Amino acid sequence: MSENLVELVRRHHGEQAPTALAVLKEAMDARGEITDADRRIAAERSGLPEATVHGVSTFYDDLLAPRGRRHVRVCTGTACFAATGDAHVEQLRAGLGLELGERAADGSCSLAETVCLGFCHSSPAVRDGEVIDAGPGVVERVLAGTTAAAAEPEPVSLLEAPVLTRPGDWSGLAIALERSSEQLLEAVEEANLRGRGGAGFPAGRKWAFARAAAGEQKFIVANGDEGDPGSYIDKLLMERSPALVLEGMALAGYAVGAAHGFALVRSEYPRSKPALEAAAAAARAEGWLGEDIRGSGFAFDVTIVEGAGSYVVGEETALIACIEGLRGTVSARPPFPAQRGLFNLPTVVNNVETLANVPFIAREGAAAYRALSPGATPGSKLVCFNERFARPGVYEVRFGTSVRELCERLGGGLRDGRAIKALQIGGPLGGILPASLLDTPFDFDALAAVGCMVGHGGILAFDDTTDMRAVARHLLHFGASESCGKCFPCRIGLQRAHALFAADDAIDRARLEALLETLELGSLCAHGGGMPAPIRSLLAHFPDELGLA
Amino acid sequence: MSVHVTIDGRAVEVADGATLLDAARAAGRWVPTLCFDPRQAPFGACRVCLVGVEGSAVPLPACTTPCREGMEVRTEDPTARRVATAVVELVLSELPEPPAAHTELAGIARALEVGEPRWPGATHAVVHEDDHPYLAFRHELCISCGRCVRACDEVQGTFALTAVGRGFDANVAAGIEEGFRHSACVSCGACADTCPTEAIAEMSLLDLASS
Amino acid sequence: MSERFDSTVTTTCGYCGVGCRLEAHVAGGRVAAISPALDGPANAGHTCLKGRFAHQFSRHRARLTSPLIRTDGELRPATWEEALERIVNELTRIKDAHGPDAIAGLASSRATNEDCYAMQRLMRAAVGTNNIDNCSRVCHSPTSFALRKSLGLSGATGTFADFDHADATILIGANPTEGHPVVGARIKQATLRGMQLVTIDPRRIELADYGVLHLSPRPGTNAAVMLGLAHVVLRDGLLDHDFIRTRTQGFEVVEALLADYDPDEVERIAGIPAGDLETAAHIYGEAERASVSWGLGVTEHRYGSEVAQLICNLALMTGNLGRPGAALLPLRGQNNVQGSSDMGALPDTYTAYRSVTDEDVAQSFEAAWGVALSRKVGMKIPEMFDAAVAGSLKAMYIFGEDVAQTDPDTAHVQHALESLEFLVVQEIFENETTRFADVVLPASAFLEKRGTFTNAERRIQLVEPAIEPPGDARTDFDIIATVSRALGHDFGWQDPEDAMREIAALTPHFAGVTYARLGRAGLCWPVAPDGTDAPILYEREFELPGGRARFAALPYREPGDHVDEEFPLILVTGRRLQHYNAGTMTRRTGNVELNDRDVLEIHPDDAARLWISDGDVVSVRSRVGRTEVHAHVTERIERGNVFTTFHFPETGTNLLIGQSADVNTSCPEYKVVAVDVRPIGEQAAKTPALGLVGTG
Repeated sequence: MSENLVELVRRHHGEQAPTALAVLKEAMDARGEITDADRRIAAERSGLPEATVHGVSTFYDDLLAPRGRRHVRVCTGTACFAATGDAHVEQLRAGLGLELGERAADGSCSLAETVCLGFCHSSPAVRDGEVIDAGPGVVERVLAGTTAAAAEPEPVSLLEAPVLTRPGDWSGLAIALERSSEQLLEAVEEANLRGRGGAGFPAGRKWAFARAAAGEQKFIVANGDEGDPGSYIDKLLMERSPALVLEGMALAGYAVGAAHGFALVRSEYPRSKPALEAAAAAARAEGWLGEDIRGSGFAFDVTIVEGAGSYVVGEETALIACIEGLRGTVSARPPFPAQRGLFNLPTVVNNVETLANVPFIAREGAAAYRALSPGATPGSKLVCFNERFARPGVYEVRFGTSVRELCERLGGGLRDGRAIKALQIGGPLGGILPASLLDTPFDFDALAAVGCMVGHGGILAFDDTTDMRAVARHLLHFGASESCGKCFPCRIGLQRAHALFAADDAIDRARLEALLETLELGSLCAHGGGMPAPIRSLLAHFPDELGLA
Repeated sequence: MSVHVTIDGRAVEVADGATLLDAARAAGRWVPTLCFDPRQAPFGACRVCLVGVEGSAVPLPACTTPCREGMEVRTEDPTARRVATAVVELVLSELPEPPAAHTELAGIARALEVGEPRWPGATHAVVHEDDHPYLAFRHELCISCGRCVRACDEVQGTFALTAVGRGFDANVAAGIEEGFRHSACVSCGACADTCPTEAIAEMSLLDLASS
Repeated sequence: MSERFDSTVTTTCGYCGVGCRLEAHVAGGRVAAISPALDGPANAGHTCLKGRFAHQFSRHRARLTSPLIRTDGELRPATWEEALERIVNELTRIKDAHGPDAIAGLASSRATNEDCYAMQRLMRAAVGTNNIDNCSRVCHSPTSFALRKSLGLSGATGTFADFDHADATILIGANPTEGHPVVGARIKQATLRGMQLVTIDPRRIELADYGVLHLSPRPGTNAAVMLGLAHVVLRDGLLDHDFIRTRTQGFEVVEALLADYDPDEVERIAGIPAGDLETAAHIYGEAERASVSWGLGVTEHRYGSEVAQLICNLALMTGNLGRPGAALLPLRGQNNVQGSSDMGALPDTYTAYRSVTDEDVAQSFEAAWGVALSRKVGMKIPEMFDAAVAGSLKAMYIFGEDVAQTDPDTAHVQHALESLEFLVVQEIFENETTRFADVVLPASAFLEKRGTFTNAERRIQLVEPAIEPPGDARTDFDIIATVSRALGHDFGWQDPEDAMREIAALTPHFAGVTYARLGRAGLCWPVAPDGTDAPILYEREFELPGGRARFAALPYREPGDHVDEEFPLILVTGRRLQHYNAGTMTRRTGNVELNDRDVLEIHPDDAARLWISDGDVVSVRSRVGRTEVHAHVTERIERGNVFTTFHFPETGTNLLIGQSADVNTSCPEYKVVAVDVRPIGEQAAKTPALGLVGTG
């Protein structure tokens, strides 16, 4: 991101100015569309150039689709696709008489697409105003005007003492503050806590870089932009255990030398920001956040920021840009955020689940943490299952358990007696695991060996009725429409790849594979680089279903 | 402090912080680029500057990769060149008409021997803005390299330009889509100077080309 | 892009004093495009809309393409032979009848060093008078005076690169994002990287938005502000005692004087909050490397040269000289303001500011030129006009300056021009001044000539012709040499490079200058015989006796004009991004599409009080003149002040400016004019100003 623009943002942030994105979101919420006057006001209030603000206003989904008095958002995530093959989208379009992205001429109603609402356990899902309804009959209820809030699942931990599915109690911070910040950093490094956002980068190493970076002012950023369709793990953490996430942020701040943290949550999860803010208010009241925490001399506080609809904002440099209220595009690294991140200052970006692991490490130590998953990646992992499973929901598991065991023992196999045709694990950038490989252990290296990944831990089943060419088309549609547009291979290549599958023609396999290579080796971030993974899997395991020439 | 690297077998010494592209240029080796302009910070968007680096399983972008002591770089690594060529072909495919022969994009395409792009399908919509005495916008020729936006930001400091949209529909705009004349533009022309496709062009040169 | 062009020439921009290096691309005998040279030291691959785009004037249909001679009251085309004959006859007649001092010449800060050197040699050697001046008189002569007095040399102490190294900069009386856009951009980038910028100007200039503090003193009170800053630096222990002790003289007197300028007193005089003054002093005084940059908002005042000396004081007190980032950087207005004066196109000095009364120097020129030279200091521009009106000056040869539009008190200037018996104007277009000419010589634009310009960094840079002068127009160098030869004094040069050889031979500061050494990057004078140049001056000593800089103990004194009941507003004049001074060039390009009129900026409160709406035509009246202009209501200007430009002759802005001028250099006080502004409910007439005042 432009150093100059970020410097302008930093200056105006210091003067309590709102970000351009925040002002634009307000305008959208107030009037259902963004006018040039709104852009000028946003420029004035944020202190940013008008062109910059305009660029922001054309980037985020939430700012683009005009809203009627009733705004209906239909989830087109992969779990909903797996559940209905997008039939629910068609039904809503027909029922409301609106195209996706259209607002009725009289302004009464509007329909937009959203990916995804995190109700993958109960697909398909529809957000009607502020109410999210999901599961069988949802379309009928929405059309009848009887939308009702869907139930949320209870998380289940397979551990004797849950690490991640418990509410935070700040006991880890209490212990950490009695010791030096070096000791906490050492414990996290010793625990080999790997990032849970997808890439698996050691959190301790990130912290050490940021701690060593020059400068007084540093930041912790919690990545709550859980964009992976089919995953609702962070949603659960932020809404059920918000204090645990905040405690993890404070611990990171203590270890790194940061006095402020920002958590970015998705706008698709309307309950997450209030939950985190309530937890932060409670923590301030109890002295766990703020100046001189519990007499330790350590100060830390948090700001909760809501995104505006962009998958790529889950990438750390784009996430920082989003918090700054700028276009959520990816920046080349180096410089890494640990050197130059939020407001051009050293920043640690960790996924909320990663941070939720830290209180345990602080309290119980690295050895206890490593013992959670003997012989495998240290710690525990939250996984979640989509609606195709008999017992969808969020489970805390040990690394190294076989995928089959997870699917059959926890997930209970598929509902309605259907069989698993394939799984997509860890989000849209993860490979697709055919039923024949279900005995693969659920761990970073083992899954990588079969072209898949732990990713963020969503386990999404396609049942035996699924058309795999349609899966490819669905995934590439998602990939192309979420490309931030910065790097050329992703910006153009995903559009071209989607077009290949969207047409009725046979696909030239050699050309497709060359394109996949261009995306894999050429893309700037994991979005363009990762989108070929499931397509590669489909080519390997389901070549006959893809309509290849 | 300086760093020693080898470019296509030739040893070069560069300043600490120099990129592989700096080193390649110091060694007199050509590396294709589209989003790079020496007046601007490296951007890393076009991915055409990929080079092979000993010990790296994948090609690396020369413009954003810092030199590390002892790196061995191959500017004509076959994989890197293959990907770069494929990217340029993709770029040509998004334009409704080929770029003018004198443009940087056309030059790179010639150098990499990219023929007629084999990607039929969507191209950018033809949108022209001619409200300014000197600067012409040809939005369909925009390849979102960001050079104009960065010229306005990092060189001029006026911030009159922005990237707009995302994905395949990304483009650039002056102000709030107001054209150069009604935006904050100070008409310095740094955008036209750096544009590799004449998406932003000096009006008189368009006239010259057509005469 | 080369295949589209017939040729590409690297040259130096002819607009402002930044000195951008340009690549001029030519097709079909015209400049097709201009792009910035990536290796230009001042511009590093950037330029503004004037340098890049405003070149069409060079082939504008109104270009002068043949000499004009006044016959029966009308200017009519003539041959060069006829024009030369008329010039020789008239100048010879006047010289014979009234002596050489009845003739005066003006060199041009727009022209090359070689042109200006030739012009002063023409006046001194061929005519025999020191009545030679140039338009830096009306802009930066006070800067030149002050720098010579305080530090020794008449030029910036560093280069624009100092903005990249400075931790703090005070920018006073300049609006670089419009007047010097490429430097403005550089300063803006520096502020975004963390340079602390303090802006001091009666207008809230664009850079104020990027600075840490903006001070808005009443026009004419800069001296009080500088004294106040020095007061706080002294009071709060921000002095560089070592520097003061070892490298300066005269601090004690200043120390005593500063007691009178505590922040409250300065607030009373200048109207800036005392606390802001203290903050500014600390920003400058505490910075490791601090610079001051200024423009005509400092110089074009009754005590402009004194303010420039007070700026030097501040730098000397804090030791902010002679190091990267610690510089004094006056932003010279025109492309060759620095060079035209360096070349001795001044009534009191030969090249490099050596006095015409210095016997050794004078003899060296006499030896070189083979003529006896006058030891009598000549007239400055305003003195020339006064003398013309008084009848003692009979002829002028004005080269590249539209005095009738740009000099103050237009009515007086016009009266002077009318009073002359003979006026030669060497120009590229007919303008307000040619209306009074007896002979008009068609000259060349910067894109058509060879030579050098010296920018505001003292950097001498090559100028190369991209195209030929149109029709029978000739290069200025050629014209001046031809006129001199016709008057009996042959320079003996083949081309401008020969002139530079002579300059180098006769001028120690230019000793090592050759075109070959100038190359693509130029050289900052002084240039040693081996070609070593001096981007940073005074690293070890100052160019004054004993190597010590001199503090100047100068008090604040009130400006030459003041508001009263009749004239309740202060008018400040300046220029805008799209146009260049008199607009001779830029008004003949597409730039007029971007800005087609002068406007009067007025604060909303003043506008409301006077019943003026944005866009109204208003009458502006000063003690000496009146004109009409469109109002622009904006908060960029302080209450009580109004601002306008002088780019369009129909505005007649300089009709309003009186005779008040700098006490040391006669630089006019363009920046403080008491005016009365009131609405008139109709469209402005096309040329109301000239119509009103007449030419008699």
